[in-house]
Amino acid sequence: MNPDTQARLAQLKAQPIDGQALKKLVEAGLTWLRANQQTVNALNVFPVPDGDTGTNMVLTMQSAYNEIDNLGHRSIGQMAAAVSQGALMGARGNSGVILSQLWRGFARGVQGQEILDGESFVRALGEARDTAYKGVVRPVEGTILTVAKDIATAAEEALKETEDPFEILERILPAADKSVQYTPELLPVLKQAGVVDSGGKGLYYIYEGMLRYMRGEPLDAPVISIQPLSAMKLENTMEAVEPGQDFEVVVDFVPSKPLNLQDFYGDLEKMGTSIQVGEGDGMYRMHIHVPTEKRYEPVDYIMGLGTVTKVAIENLIAQMDEIDRKAEGDKIELTNIEPGQIAVVTVSPGPGISRVFASLGVAAIVEGGQTMNPSTQEILAAFENLPTDKVIILPNNKNIILAAQQAKEVTVKNVRIVPSKNMPQGLAAMMQLNPDGDLEQVAGRMVKALEDVTSGEITIATRSVEIDGVQVEKDQVIGLLNGKLVVSAVSLEEALLALLEKAAAAEHELITLFFGQDLTHNEANRISDLVRERYPAQEIEVQDGGQPHYQFILSVE
Amino acid sequence: MGKENTTLGSIHISTKAVATLAYRATLESYGVVGLAPKDLAEGLAHTITNVPTRGVSVSFDGERLDIDIHVIIEYGTRITSVAHSVANTVRFRVEKALGMPIHHVNVHVQGLRVSNPD
Repeated sequence: MNPDTQARLAQLKAQPIDGQALKKLVEAGLTWLRANQQTVNALNVFPVPDGDTGTNMVLTMQSAYNEIDNLGHRSIGQMAAAVSQGALMGARGNSGVILSQLWRGFARGVQGQEILDGESFVRALGEARDTAYKGVVRPVEGTILTVAKDIATAAEEALKETEDPFEILERILPAADKSVQYTPELLPVLKQAGVVDSGGKGLYYIYEGMLRYMRGEPLDAPVISIQPLSAMKLENTMEAVEPGQDFEVVVDFVPSKPLNLQDFYGDLEKMGTSIQVGEGDGMYRMHIHVPTEKRYEPVDYIMGLGTVTKVAIENLIAQMDEIDRKAEGDKIELTNIEPGQIAVVTVSPGPGISRVFASLGVAAIVEGGQTMNPSTQEILAAFENLPTDKVIILPNNKNIILAAQQAKEVTVKNVRIVPSKNMPQGLAAMMQLNPDGDLEQVAGRMVKALEDVTSGEITIATRSVEIDGVQVEKDQVIGLLNGKLVVSAVSLEEALLALLEKAAAAEHELITLFFGQDLTHNEANRISDLVRERYPAQEIEVQDGGQPHYQFILSVE
Repeated sequence: MGKENTTLGSIHISTKAVATLAYRATLESYGVVGLAPKDLAEGLAHTITNVPTRGVSVSFDGERLDIDIHVIIEYGTRITSVAHSVANTVRFRVEKALGMPIHHVNVHVQGLRVSNPD
């Protein structure tokens, strides 16, 4: 502890904790929680809509603080009652409601008190725990409730040795941390996801903020962003390679004594950039980008802090090339064709769709689609080098059929073209593939399969037009059924549902939706939920097609 | 209530099964201190039989599944927040277990329990 901190603590300790002091503490807790809001949010396990624990807790604390912001001199009892009232009014989400109950209990514990002493502090923490537990029939352990309980227990222990509220706060923080770290042992779903409980962590940040305020440590932004190991996304840091930072060093270690994160971070900053530190199960992972000559420094440095369990040093420049290659689609595994077998070449507009085709056994993929028709040369190049003479081409677009036919004419190989006009037709045709079968027969079956599938596309109209009796304004959403314009609507979901209606989806069994690159997963999920709601009896499959221009490509079978 | 036809045959899930799922999810929601019978007649019937599905009613019209939950909430909590989180938890847990969408989850706050008058 440096002399400044000591002086500050002495000064704070000399003054009684009255209402004004509590206000400062609440503000500190709120500020620090807000600074770490994203870390708490990242701990969510369930994909429930109200899953933004960090945000909910911040809003609840904010409402509590707003209530006391303009209050002048008050006793601790009055101030705590106001905090409780504010938290109640602004409680958001599950953890927010529990937090407001903790404040309610706290307020009850200090009711009628002028200042906060050790005894009333501990009593208030106990009341907070009891009140929170009363609010639920079946308390789930391994949550913020457990952390509140462990805090109250630690406070009771501390009271045996000290009467000073600040010292009690000093002592409950490690207990709170330990309790948070233990939550996965109590709640299996946390363990599965490899995270600690988000609400418990949020509560920890509130207390930590109070303690940091007392010590005079900065509160506005987390000096170091510590995160669960599972939330560390090291791939993303690659995008920010700075010149001169040629090596990536990742060190896993177990510190021999509690890590002073600020000092740790400060020392690392002298060595390099893109610093990330993750934590889980008592183990830490440090990630840093350093210049070539300093590549061993972080390892040597961390050796002095504890036991190093694993070190990974990678050349970033080489790694960047690797990532570029992956982005080009090398990941998709195509089927290896043996001499004499039938090879299928298909045209695919997006990586997701390519992957589906690959899983069905295509031997070569040509990238292309509506506005990026591949040339004859590109199609030819895709199958020229395959070790077989028998080739089937699935153009998957009527504008590409011609190029495919030209490719057939210029090659010496035995080529059949199955004129699939869209992606669902192509997929239906692939189902008929028997690589060892007779080329003529297989192609014949594939052509037949084209008719069995109803396919649809959803896109945005690029101009106003009237076709087949459907009036379309520019920028409206339009739906095509088997290549024909059938619906126009103002919203995606409206168009999609109308299109399914036209496709008589209710009379079929399986609806497959491929969403395009313009849609986020969330958006696609939201819309497909609407489809599920409308068609509960049908099986709905949703795939990330990654195609451009078409928000949805769908098939009904 | 009937559901899903598979190639092997059909699967039927009773509304009671759905109600049990909803009941458990509700009891684990923070702020809920109990479920309440919808009306007196049902209340009496349930006091005798003590079915776990008391306070939950499930309706299925062949297309849409609706769940109604009658709860008692702890006095001093923010009722809208608690009700929202009950609705979310029930929807999430039931949909996850059932694999079919729920149309509506309606939460009826039947009363408040005052355990600590402030």
